[in-house]
Amino acid sequence: MLLLWTLVAMWSDNPRTMPAPWAVAARIGQIAALGELWFHAGMTLFRVLASFVLAMAVGLLIGLWMGRSRGADHWLNPGLVIALNLPALVIIVLAYIWIGLNEVAAVAAVALNKIPLVIVMIREGTRALRPDLDDMARAFHMSSLDRLRHVVLPQLAPHVASAARAGISLIWKIVLVVEFLGRSNGVGFKIHLLFSNFDVTGVLAWALAFVAVMLAIDMFVLRPWEARANRWRRDED
Amino acid sequence: MRIELKGKSFAGHEVLGPLTLEIGRGQRVAVLGPSGIGKSTLLRIIAGLDEEFSGSLSGDDRLAVVFQEPTLLPWRRALENVTIPAGCDESAARDLMARVGLSGREEQFPRQMSLGQQRRLALARAFAARPDILLMDEPFASLDTETASRMIGLTSELLERSGAGLLLVTHDPGEPARLGARPVQLGGNPAVLRDQDNGTDT
Repeated sequence: MLLLWTLVAMWSDNPRTMPAPWAVAARIGQIAALGELWFHAGMTLFRVLASFVLAMAVGLLIGLWMGRSRGADHWLNPGLVIALNLPALVIIVLAYIWIGLNEVAAVAAVALNKIPLVIVMIREGTRALRPDLDDMARAFHMSSLDRLRHVVLPQLAPHVASAARAGISLIWKIVLVVEFLGRSNGVGFKIHLLFSNFDVTGVLAWALAFVAVMLAIDMFVLRPWEARANRWRRDED
Repeated sequence: MRIELKGKSFAGHEVLGPLTLEIGRGQRVAVLGPSGIGKSTLLRIIAGLDEEFSGSLSGDDRLAVVFQEPTLLPWRRALENVTIPAGCDESAARDLMARVGLSGREEQFPRQMSLGQQRRLALARAFAARPDILLMDEPFASLDTETASRMIGLTSELLERSGAGLLLVTHDPGEPARLGARPVQLGGNPAVLRDQDNGTDT
């Protein structure tokens, strides 16, 4: 990919619209050295994590409920279908108008975009829960908290993991849009400024720097957690 | 524990007819009958897993169930499979695991154990719940003869030690005698209970 990029950059010979990889790399080094990268990436990361946690928690709760209760599923499903098909942009604009141009609106808008997808994935997982283990938990009068922790959540772990990984990538893209439209810091805000100046090198530098951050989260947080959650499937020890 | 069942039906079809069954600590009863007659249904009702029946279930005895399959939590280690559902402490769980011949396997996951070991773990789990009456649903089926007789021996020994009563559901007429349980026949349509010796209704 890097090679292709270099070739295209050399061929187009127009550093304004198609900067070379080394120019972008130099810019990343520059913004990192200035400390600008850390502040804005930090703000973006904070929004990503806040909306991620909110979306996963709410989605898990509603997904479990809809998977367990036929009535809840029946009544909430039309709303879910609508929510799934609402354009992200509409939710963001409405959140800014109704809640105001603040952090709450930004985080809520991102979470609202993600919640329906989490619900769908968790609901499917909940429907496939093993009835024999449910019987066992009831026969032994396990408390609801114990049941959730030791019987239900371990079965949902693969669904939670895929919802989380699909979620984190969707969320950071939406966070940039939210910042682009109505925040005065963060990677999306910087891209907005650079876009106004038609600074493609800058846009690419910020975008790639943040992609690197998200890759690091996937590799060092999500994957190890998934491996830990799946320990019982392996034969070793 | 006492159950007075008036009837139990699935989708309009009556499976179980009127029957009464009473078991206390130290008493052992075996319900015999061919597969599909409703033995497991009766056990599920008594265990409180099926509440859609007409009749009444009374008594405040602690019940514990050994299911047909081991029904362990695959994602929890053997020791946790005893402590978490039964709500007992670790030393009690270790002690019971030792009694069923599973010491040294506390840290294994269920899939690392043989079927026979998994069933013994399920037995340890049931006794860890300190039941007054143990409910067993075909617990020795699909085991080879040797493993089955070992399981029967263990069950008898643990029942003796704890003084718990037993309700065993099985299709094998040999099992009640080996556990010292009073055999009761479940049969007919809808199925009712009959004492095996004299053929009268209990």
